[in-house]
Formats: sequence, C-alpha cells, structure tokens
Amino acid sequence: MLKNRLIFTLIYNNGSYMLSRNFRIQTVGDLDWLKENYNFNAIAFSIDELVVLNVERKHKNIDKFSDHLIQLSKNCFLPISAGGGIRSLEDGYKLLNSGVDKLVVNTPIIEQPELVTELARTFGNQCIIASIDCKKEQNNYSVYIQDGSKNTNLTLEEVIKKAEFLGVGEIYLTSMERDGTGQGLDMELIRKASHLTKLPIIASGGVGKYEHFVECIKDGYAVATANIYNFIVDGLIKARQFIQKQGIELATWDYHLTGLQNYFKNNNQVIKNNKTEL
Amino acid sequence: MIAIIDYKMGNIKSLENAIGFLGCKSCVTNQADIILTADKIILPGVGAFDVAMKNLKKYQIIEPLTKAVFENNIPILGICLGMQLLATLGEENGLTEGLGWINGTVRRFSFDDEKIRIPHIGFNSVDYVDKSPNLFEGLTKGADFYFVHNYRMICEDNADVSSWTYYGEKFVSGVQKGNVFGTQFHPEKSQSNGLKLLKNFISLSRDRVSC
Repeated sequence: MLKNRLIFTLIYNNGSYMLSRNFRIQTVGDLDWLKENYNFNAIAFSIDELVVLNVERKHKNIDKFSDHLIQLSKNCFLPISAGGGIRSLEDGYKLLNSGVDKLVVNTPIIEQPELVTELARTFGNQCIIASIDCKKEQNNYSVYIQDGSKNTNLTLEEVIKKAEFLGVGEIYLTSMERDGTGQGLDMELIRKASHLTKLPIIASGGVGKYEHFVECIKDGYAVATANIYNFIVDGLIKARQFIQKQGIELATWDYHLTGLQNYFKNNNQVIKNNKTEL
Repeated sequence: MIAIIDYKMGNIKSLENAIGFLGCKSCVTNQADIILTADKIILPGVGAFDVAMKNLKKYQIIEPLTKAVFENNIPILGICLGMQLLATLGEENGLTEGLGWINGTVRRFSFDDEKIRIPHIGFNSVDYVDKSPNLFEGLTKGADFYFVHNYRMICEDNADVSSWTYYGEKFVSGVQKGNVFGTQFHPEKSQSNGLKLLKNFISLSRDRVSC
C-alpha cells in the first residue's frame, strides 16, 4: 500500500535558511547552524521527503545553491526536491548532480513554458514539480510567480492545466495567506486543486500543529511544512508518531539516530525488527 | 569497487553517497576497462527509456556491460529506469528495444479509477519472493521503499520476479535472474531500508550468483 507523505521544506537564501510568513522572509541560520541546532540527520530520518527552495529575491545563484545541496544531501537517504532559479536545462542537470531527485519550477511555468517541457522530456515528468503559489482574492484564487511578487492574472484551473500540459508530474500547492501563520492548511484550496488534476498534490502553507497534518493527510495528500521553529528538537519525530496514532499509515524504517554508520559497517546479522524506532 | 554507470541520466550523487556511507568505494564511469573489472555494477537512471537506450549506445556501454555481466559474471543492479532497461522492450515515446536480459515489456500505468494518481510517488510496501541470494535479507516482507515512476515492467516469466508491490494493481517492483538484479524503487532514497538492500548487494560474493 502506498503510504502518506510527510514533507519538510527548507527555505534557502544565499547560504542561509529562512522563515517565511506570507512570503516575507527572515534569516534563521546557515547550514552549520541547522546541523548544530537541529541534528539535521535526525530530521532527515523522520520525514518522507525533503524539499529545498531557493527564494533569493534578486539573482538566484544556481552554482552556489548546487554546492550547498551537495553538502546538505551528504548523509540524507531520502528523496530530495529542489528549485528556485532553474532557467535552463543546464541548471536542471546541475541540481540533479547535487543529490537532488526532483526539480521544482514556478516562474518558468508562465514565463518559460518551453523549458518546463524540455525538462520533463529530458528527465521524465515524474522528475518535475510545479510549485503553484495561490492567494484568495474576491472569492477566487489568483496564482503568483516570482516568489509571490507577480500576479499571473490566471486562475488556479488555468495554471494547473498549463502545468499538466507542459508535462509536470506533481503539484506543490502553497496558500500564500496561510504561509508561516500556523493557522492550518487551506483545505478549500487543496480540494479545489484536487478536482482539477489527477497529479499527486503536496499541500503547503499553514501547518502549525500536528492536527493540521492529520486533517490533510487523511484525505491522501502529501503535506509539507517549512516552519522549523514549530518543529524544533524532535518535533517532526513526534508529528510522525502523532499521525500514526490517528491510524494513518506512514512508511516505517529502522531509525538509528546515532551510530548509523557503525550499525551498517558491523551489521552482518539478520535484523528482524523493521519498526520505526523513535 | 562498485562501478556506477554514467550515461548522463541523472542523479548519481545520492547513490555515490549511499555506497560511500556503507564503507565501499565506487566509481562513476563509462569506461570499458573499469566496468569489466568492477566487483559490482550499478545501472542507475532517471528519465525516459528511449533517451536512456540512445545514451547507452552513444557512450558505447552496452558491449562492455554485456561482457562484464555474462562473461565476467559481475553482479549488476538496475535501479528504477536502470531496471526497466533490463527488459526486452520499452513503450516510452514509441517502441524501443531494451537490453533484453529479462523477458518483459515496460508499459505505462493505466487505471480506470480516477482516484489513483500517476506518477506513483512515495513509499510503498515491497513483498519480496524468497530467492537465493536474497537482496532483501534482514528486511521484513512489506518493508517500505521509495518509488517515483509512470512506467512498470511486465515480466513474461514470474520466475524472474524478486518482489511485488500494489498500486492499483499488483506490479513487478523487483527482478532477479542469475547475477542480474533490478529494483523499480530507489534503495538509495529509502532511508535505512534501502541502505540494507544496498548493503546486501554490495556484500554478494560472486560465486554465489554465478550461473
């Protein structure tokens, strides 16, 4: 049976990690800070996927971003998606050679549609995620690009159909009003999008407590959170346990926070227990 | 030394990371002499079937790979698209001949049920068949592995199937025939479950799998 997905999103800006609220960003710390304060390897072992989004506002430096991803992904053995600033096929190659599995595109869906098609043709459509940023305006959802700064004047339906037509394989759907507020996901938006497409949906924007994951995940959507403060220390591990306690199936694996390397080096015996040991 | 075949079909870094993490040396290569003398070979791959076969030909990898596997008896593991390429035929972007080491065809998922979304993305249970050697040793039946794909292999001979997974239908998630192994899922992206499977592959002794 296919398991539900709990996803963590890192907001990256020129070597640092950010907190985002309604797309206004604020620096939290760099990679060393993340590793020191969060035991990043532990976070990576308590989620199903990692998304890293480059939100540099002026010039998105893809080379620096790639170098950073190489460092970040070193001891992570989970699917990683990354995007922000992919403007050529070459950029796509760069990220995919940095430990990344899937590419996230936003602005190119509108401004460089031919690039999205080229990426999907080259790497397969399962490799391309359309990030769609939405804001509710006069009872309708408007779609924004360029880090939420530019209104496309297109409806949610138009953008989803366009992304599908260009060949993306997944939708990362963000509510800009809920982003960073912790008020809960915009379920109306998620359900609306879900009626418009057969592609898998990752819902984002608004997760503030464990119950928020549950209300969305139980309907079969993947849920992403980018709020590192809410999930400090073992927050994500507890979130996982909480979701499982509600009877929702998540993937399980052996979880060895310390000594994983030794565990594998010395391990020749048969390991019977396959439960997530938290 | 593990030879990771480089034919410009994406995401090799994480495989290198995983093998390094398990304390083993790897080499990303398309050089015949390295392929022919490797302890193990991994054929990774993300992308389309037709482009992948074209690239294998372009970099002249097919001949050394065939020799390495069938004359030098080197175990090979195809991952995701790498597994699909082991089949006789692929249907992605028109019909393309595969390596033909496993009798089967690679077809797109097709479901009448609107609720089943394609691609198949996420961790899913893998029910393995007891084989010798067994790449799933130490893992429970139904252990979770990460999948991301639109196409799957349909095998002519169930004896070549090493694992099954359910997504709208029961499909082949692993193959094994002599020293040829394949997984539709990504062990390098499947947390410790995947590391265990890779560890088992790395630890295979060559005489245990020789035909």
